[in-house]
Amino acid sequence: MDLLRATTGWLLDPSHLVGPDGIPTRLEQHVAICVVSLFVAAAIALPIGTFIGHTGRGAFAAINLANIGRAVPSYAVMVMVLPVALSLSPKYGLDVIPTFTAMTLLAIPPILVNTFAGLRQVDPDLVEAGRGMGMRERQLLLRLELPLALPVVLGGVRTAAVQVVATATLGAELGGGGLGRYIVDGIARQEDDRLLTGVFLVAALALTTEAAFAVASRVLTSAGVRRTARAGLDTER
Amino acid sequence: MRLNRALALGASLLVLIGACTTGGGSSSSPAGIPASGTAAGPPPTIKVGSDGFYESKLMAEIYAQVLEANGYTVERDLGLGTRKVSASALESGQIDLKPEYIGSGLGYYDKTKTTADPATNAAALQAILATKGGGITVLGYTPGQDANAFVVRADTAAKYGLTKMSDLTAVADKLVWGLPPECSTGPLCGGALKDSYGLDVTKLNVKPLAACEAPIAEALKAGTVDVAELCSTQPAIAQFGFVSLIDDKHTQPAQNIAPLVRDDYLAKVDKVAFAKLLDAVSAKLTTDALTKLGVEVAVNNKDVKDVAAAWLKENGFIK
Repeated sequence: MDLLRATTGWLLDPSHLVGPDGIPTRLEQHVAICVVSLFVAAAIALPIGTFIGHTGRGAFAAINLANIGRAVPSYAVMVMVLPVALSLSPKYGLDVIPTFTAMTLLAIPPILVNTFAGLRQVDPDLVEAGRGMGMRERQLLLRLELPLALPVVLGGVRTAAVQVVATATLGAELGGGGLGRYIVDGIARQEDDRLLTGVFLVAALALTTEAAFAVASRVLTSAGVRRTARAGLDTER
Repeated sequence: MRLNRALALGASLLVLIGACTTGGGSSSSPAGIPASGTAAGPPPTIKVGSDGFYESKLMAEIYAQVLEANGYTVERDLGLGTRKVSASALESGQIDLKPEYIGSGLGYYDKTKTTADPATNAAALQAILATKGGGITVLGYTPGQDANAFVVRADTAAKYGLTKMSDLTAVADKLVWGLPPECSTGPLCGGALKDSYGLDVTKLNVKPLAACEAPIAEALKAGTVDVAELCSTQPAIAQFGFVSLIDDKHTQPAQNIAPLVRDDYLAKVDKVAFAKLLDAVSAKLTTDALTKLGVEVAVNNKDVKDVAAAWLKENGFIK
């Protein structure tokens, strides 16, 4: 109870709301690395997932490669990247490049796998009907398959985003900023209120991310697809 | 290299077999001849733990192997993270023994008591530990030390003419500092820099990085940071030609290493023989020996077990 009160006190202390170690700065740094990593991961995984999902070609290789990526711990990726990154750029090689690399690799598998699965689960009869109506491959993909797959695809992005938000805290181990700073500093300085504040803020940000994607998914999916896709989404998760 | 490893493996297997046979021998002996002074039968299993970094693991492994060679059964729980984790593990009895730096170990409990004198630190640590977790004993400490050192690259040292810590004061603003996250609140880091060298760490350009680890050494080498807090036996210093600055105001505490053992375990064995065994090992560990062992583990990437076994054999503690 004392710890809870101390943590609340720490969180509400006005001096922790400003400056380079203030909550807004740390939050901004955290969101920045997460958004950039997620964006790059999506730019890689969405086209590949779409291609293998639409054509069915190279699916085995791509999915397995992505799943191997899932099995490598993010911290191991960061430490392995570190010497190379430092030799490339002393300025950004220490924390920015390793964290960005690890977070991107973390976000690729769920996006890739869900995009593939989302496209694959589109009813083949619908695709046939579309083709029968004279739709071209491009039209089939953009106007039929992708809209139908959207809830599952966004589910993948959502999973990736939540994982990245929670895991980007590791950047602080290599001197990076972000909310992980409170956790790493809290442990090192034996300041439990600082540590718990970090844990609380990361959890809150992860939950907010989850909620934001849930809303986005609802808004972006058309009402008809939402009803029919619900079953597919449930089995997918 | 391969032959060495095979030899070391063979040696550790022999030790293991030896330990097993002595253990089995005394327990199956119908007369029940006591294996150690006070307790009948083989000594109870001892749980040996360590902190996460290599030197702590290595020290724990050295103590573990010498105990095994003398009939003790050892359960290892090495690499328990930071002192916060390993100290609580020792206090709660999850481990029975861990190697500890007497300066930092003392600072963990009472930041105001650390001194530059090893005997004073050891006595102060013993006084505190006597009341922790039902009593913990500080055995004899090593002559060797692994103190925190502020280190710069050779080119930085040449550029600003740096040889001692007080040389940093004038150029502090031009440098990027690699300091552990706890530095600003630690009396031996932030406190020492401020009180003795007039440097306010909260005003410096600091990259927070754990002291003595590989990343901080890498960052110093690459030029991401210009000053880094490393450990004086850390192999990276010699490997990359770093310059350790002399602590001319004597701010860093004596950091000899001693095994900490729970009293409830010592009560179950021949305490005098146990202490004598480990003290003899500690007595051989000079700063030079610690540095050389560190090179084997951290630079030559040899297994901690093999390095410990080789050193113990070389010094006649195991066969």
